[in-house]
Amino acid sequence: MTTETLPLTRQDFVSNQTVRWCPGCGDYSILAQVQKTMPDIGFAREDIVFISGIGCSSRFPYYMNTYGIHSIHGRAPTLASGLAIARPDLSIWVVTGDGDGLSIGGNHMIHAIRRNINLNILLFNNRIYGLTKGQYSPTSRHGMVTKSSPMGSVEQPLNPIALALASEATFVARSIDAHTQHLGEVLLEAAHHVGTSFVEIYQNCVIFNPNEWIGLDDRRLRDENILYLKHGEPMIFGKNHDKGIRLNGFMPEVVQLGNGVSEDDLLVHDETSMQLAFIISSMEFPHFPAPMGVIRRVQKQTYTEGLMEQVKAAQAKKGVGDLYELYTSADLWTVTERETVKGKQTGALSLELDDEYMDEMEQKPEETTAMQDQLITPIATLQPRAPVSIDAAASLAKAIRQMNAHRVGCLLVTDKDDRLVGIFTEKDVLMRVVGLVDDLTAVPVANYMTPNPIALTTSLPIAQALYEMSIHGFRHVPLVDDDGRPEGIISFRDVVRRLKQNFN
Amino acid sequence: MSLEQELKTEQVTHLDLTGFCMVASGTAVQDTLNAMRQHNVNVCIVTAGEHLAGIFTDRDVLGRVATHNDLLTQPIDTVMTPAPITVGPETSAAAALWLMDAKGIRNLPVVDEDGRILGVMTHQAVIHYLAARYPIEVQNRSPHPEQFPRKPEGGD
Repeated sequence: MTTETLPLTRQDFVSNQTVRWCPGCGDYSILAQVQKTMPDIGFAREDIVFISGIGCSSRFPYYMNTYGIHSIHGRAPTLASGLAIARPDLSIWVVTGDGDGLSIGGNHMIHAIRRNINLNILLFNNRIYGLTKGQYSPTSRHGMVTKSSPMGSVEQPLNPIALALASEATFVARSIDAHTQHLGEVLLEAAHHVGTSFVEIYQNCVIFNPNEWIGLDDRRLRDENILYLKHGEPMIFGKNHDKGIRLNGFMPEVVQLGNGVSEDDLLVHDETSMQLAFIISSMEFPHFPAPMGVIRRVQKQTYTEGLMEQVKAAQAKKGVGDLYELYTSADLWTVTERETVKGKQTGALSLELDDEYMDEMEQKPEETTAMQDQLITPIATLQPRAPVSIDAAASLAKAIRQMNAHRVGCLLVTDKDDRLVGIFTEKDVLMRVVGLVDDLTAVPVANYMTPNPIALTTSLPIAQALYEMSIHGFRHVPLVDDDGRPEGIISFRDVVRRLKQNFN
Repeated sequence: MSLEQELKTEQVTHLDLTGFCMVASGTAVQDTLNAMRQHNVNVCIVTAGEHLAGIFTDRDVLGRVATHNDLLTQPIDTVMTPAPITVGPETSAAAALWLMDAKGIRNLPVVDEDGRILGVMTHQAVIHYLAARYPIEVQNRSPHPEQFPRKPEGGD
């Protein structure tokens, strides 16, 4: 039974837990996108479950306001498999990393995929062990210098996409933390696929492997270096759409369009072709553009469907079984209690490890650009305008009159104690009012505002305001004092002014 | 490279210009509103054939339509801004942004030399650009703004 009738928003999926990732970690961006995508996947909040193993990424379930299990190292796919079979009506998400999912959990991973259990597996790949502070992982490049490979890793890395394909995955996709729109689209496609959806997400470890995705996570370079896959369309890439992928024998090659090379010569993406999927999986950046998007998508029977068919057939033949009878029909014996052996714990080891990574922490901070410095200055330095406020009981007609009189696109709605209770913008007028309300004087603005809006204090950095604008699609962010009373408002235009001052 | 140089070398077409919808000239205001609601956008481009006839934004909704329900059945042409300011695809992102600021507009249609519509540069496109350009500062922030860990690795 669905208890929530109102449409869900991203905010409904944000839990009250303190997020404990390093500031700047790519996990934040992935979390924000997952929270943003959840309202669109067509499941009630109580029918969504996040299951993780151990690692930085595996803290995910705490931060999602859904059901969740922070499970055993590498075993998230097993718990999720059991749940998916017992409750096929749920939307189940496995959150794992390159360590949890490919080292200790490698076997569980491939068998969950091969069985086509209805799961969404998100593999955060930062090519390093982050939680244990910087050892090489199964996806670390050959020759990569880490805490545990001071002379460079001598191991060949795993290719997660090829591994998923070899496990007969019915849905394989790739995206990257920094490209939020793309990530959101891929997550939605994964959610809609019935069967195992495997999504590799390139993720930045800001402390221990910050340069891994250079060229892909940088907004200036990414469109030049990412091949966005679209089913049925030729493989064209580059900022100016001037390069493509052509097949030469069995080998893909990068070609420049023009000079006799046309779109017709290029490979056309086909989500149903396993052969093509393997070719795509072999294309490694920087020798090739990094392929992103849905690599393979086919429909096959899920494990649960197959199993339930058999259960049904068996029950039709033999009748419904009795679990207790089955249990007591075998030989039983009693286990007697043994004396427990006490362990010895000094705690000394963990202190030594602390010392070992202290040098990491004492490193000089990276040099920042003027722009980065600007982004972390407090919002107060933008000299926010005084807000235009309106009482929650005022009519819609009055609200619209005020906005037009003050030539503002945004009103802060306050209660009788002058505390911020909502925000009413021109977008609300567009989306919910015009042509939909007969008498503007008869209804209070409170019925059409966005209640409990996100509000910041002026001591927070400008970057926080940009973050809210980027995640929620706002153009305005209200500012409040410590008592929740409106103090000001900033719009993106204020940020533009700052950029302009900086430049001139 | 500083952001200034970057925004100067980055063309407007390198931004995400898809945050708009289109209706043909003559479409009723009510149908235009429905299209904007369906696409969940603040901006609608009004077209005449392949060309740009006007622009209609949420600000126009607020200022021109909100208190005049009788306009809903009128063609969009009566309330749109005709022949809006446009830029070509080669324009730098910086030039476009400063133009928007100088003219006090938030949506800037991008058209090719034949006047065909390539997209609309919006403030939202620039916000996304900045967020993706500075992921460590902007994108990868805690959902709880008051939270600031004392150690660089997030522990306290």
